[in-house]
Amino acid sequence: MADNLEEIQKSVKKYLVIGGLLLLFTVITVWLSYVELPTHSMNIMVGMIVAAFKASLVALIFMHLSHEKKIIYKVLLFTVILVSVLFILFYMTHGDPLIFEGFDKTSIKQH
Amino acid sequence: MDIPYTVTARPDTGLYNAKVGIWLFLASEVMLFGGLFSAYIFLRVGADYHWPIHELNVQLGFINTVVLIASSVTVVMAWAFLKLRKFGMYQLMMAITVICAAIFMVNKTLEYKAKFEHYSVKLTDGTILTGHLEHGYFVHFKDINKLTLNVHLETAAIDADPVDYVLPYVEGESPKFKTEAGDEIELNAATFAKLRSDAIDAMREENKSKQFQRDWTGTKNIVLTAVSPLKLKLPASSFFSYSETNVTLRDGTIAEGKLEDDRMTLDVDGIDVRSVADAEKSMAWEADYLPAFKPVFIATRDHHQNEFKEKYPSRDPSKSATLQTESYFIKIHSAKADENMPGHEGGHSAEAHEPEAAAGHDAAEAGGHEGGHHPVVVLKKKDIAFFSNFTPKLNTYYAIYFTLTGLHGLHVVFGALVLLYFLVFNGKMMREDPEHLANRVEVGGLFWHFVDLVWIFLFPLLYLL
Repeated sequence: MADNLEEIQKSVKKYLVIGGLLLLFTVITVWLSYVELPTHSMNIMVGMIVAAFKASLVALIFMHLSHEKKIIYKVLLFTVILVSVLFILFYMTHGDPLIFEGFDKTSIKQH
Repeated sequence: MDIPYTVTARPDTGLYNAKVGIWLFLASEVMLFGGLFSAYIFLRVGADYHWPIHELNVQLGFINTVVLIASSVTVVMAWAFLKLRKFGMYQLMMAITVICAAIFMVNKTLEYKAKFEHYSVKLTDGTILTGHLEHGYFVHFKDINKLTLNVHLETAAIDADPVDYVLPYVEGESPKFKTEAGDEIELNAATFAKLRSDAIDAMREENKSKQFQRDWTGTKNIVLTAVSPLKLKLPASSFFSYSETNVTLRDGTIAEGKLEDDRMTLDVDGIDVRSVADAEKSMAWEADYLPAFKPVFIATRDHHQNEFKEKYPSRDPSKSATLQTESYFIKIHSAKADENMPGHEGGHSAEAHEPEAAAGHDAAEAGGHEGGHHPVVVLKKKDIAFFSNFTPKLNTYYAIYFTLTGLHGLHVVFGALVLLYFLVFNGKMMREDPEHLANRVEVGGLFWHFVDLVWIFLFPLLYLL
C-alpha cells in the first residue's frame, strides 16, 4: 500500500492511465472477436489472454497487489492452486466420448 | 469494546484486520465464480447445439464494461482522495461509482427484459424460428360441457382445485354447473369446498371398516356438467396434456370439449437452419410459412460462402462458426433489428443484405399481413418440437448466462449498497477519523474491483466468443 502522501498524489494519475488502458483493451477485445482466425478456438484463446492481461492490471494496480504484505500472497497462493484444480477437472474428462448414441447427431450437423 | 486494528496495523500481519478479512472473503469468491466458469467450460464443450456467438447485445455489453471500468477507477480514486483529505473529491468519486453501478443494473434489466420477451421455436426438422409472440401462445378449447375433478382422501401432490386452475382460463362470465345430485351451482371457493367435503365424507364412510385411520385411502371423481358450453383459453403452463376432445389441467381436472385452435402466431425475426440436415428443404420454406425467404437464404448463403472461399482458400468453411451463422442464420431486418446487429459492422458488403430486407418486405406483403416490420407465420402445433423464451430452459448457454450474470448482478447491487452506506452515513467518521474511513473504502473498493474483474471475463465469454 502506498503510504506516503506524495506517492498517493502520483497514483491518482496512474489510476486514470490504467483506466484508459483497460478501455483500450476492451475495444481491442471486441474488435478481435470479429476477426476470423483460422479456428474459433484461437479466437477464444486470444480473447482470454487479453482478458487475463486486463484482469492482472486491475489486480496489481487497483487492488494494490503489486505491493502487498506477505500474508495476502500466502492466502492467494492457496486460491490459485484450488482454482486451478477446478479448471484441471476439465482436462480429466478429455478422454470421455462427448458424442455417443444418446445425442441427436443431426442437431450438430455442419454444412 | 472497540474492534482492534481498524486503523493501525496488527504487528504480526502488518495489516489492519479488515484487509486480511476481505482478502479471505475474496479468495472464497474466486472459488465460487471459478466453479461456475468451470461449469461454463463443461457446458460449452458438451453442447449439442450451435453455441451462441455475438448473439447477445454487444453494444449494451460494451457500454456496461466501460461503465464498470469507470467505476473501478473512481472508487480507487475516492480512496486516494480520502487519504489526501480532499473530502469533496472523495464524495464526488464515490457518488460517480454508485451512479455507474445503477447504470449497469438498468442496462442489465433492459437486456434481461428483451430476452424474456423474445422466443425461440424449434420445428420438428431442426429449423429454429426466433421472434415475438405478440399475443402470447394459447390453446383454445370450445364446447366444454363436462369437468371431472379428482379429489383424494389423503394429501396428494395433484388434487382438484378448479378455482385456481380452471376458472382463471374460462372465457366469459362465471359459469354455472349441474352437480351429480342435480343442483345448479356457480363454481367458486365456497361451492367447491362443499362438494369436496361431501366427497371426502363419502370416502371416509367407505373406509370405516378399516381398523386404522392411517389406512384410509381413496379417490373420488366429482363430475360437473356445464349448464351452457364453456370456452377455455389456456396458456402453455396451465395444462399437462391435451387431445382433440379433452385437456388435463394442472390440478388434474379433465375438461371435455373440442379443441378449437392450438396454432402459434409468431412475428419472425430470425430463421436458423444450421441444424437442418438439408437447409434448402427446411420447413421454414414451406408454402404456409416463409417461402419468400428461401431465395434470400440461398443468395445470402452463397454470397458468404464465396466470400469466405476467396478470403481464406485454405480453410474449411464448415469449421467457421461465424460463417455458419452468417450463412445459415438469417436475421430478418427491421429498423429495430438493425440497431442490435453489430455483427454487420464487420466489413461485409451491403448488397447481400439489401435483397434480404427487400424480400422480407415482400414476404410480409405477400402473406397479406398488416403492420409491423416482421413477417408473421402461423405455426401448426404438430410442426413445433419445442418452444421457449430466451430463459434458462431454452438451452445450457442461457442457463449459464443467467446464472453467471445474475450472480454478478447481485454482487454489483450489494457492493454499491456498501459504498453508498459509506458515502451517506459515515460523514462524521470522515471528519473525525478519516484514516479509519479510508480503510473502509479500501476494503469496499477491493470488493468492487473484484466485481469488475469477474466482468472482464464474463463479457468476452458470454457476448463475444
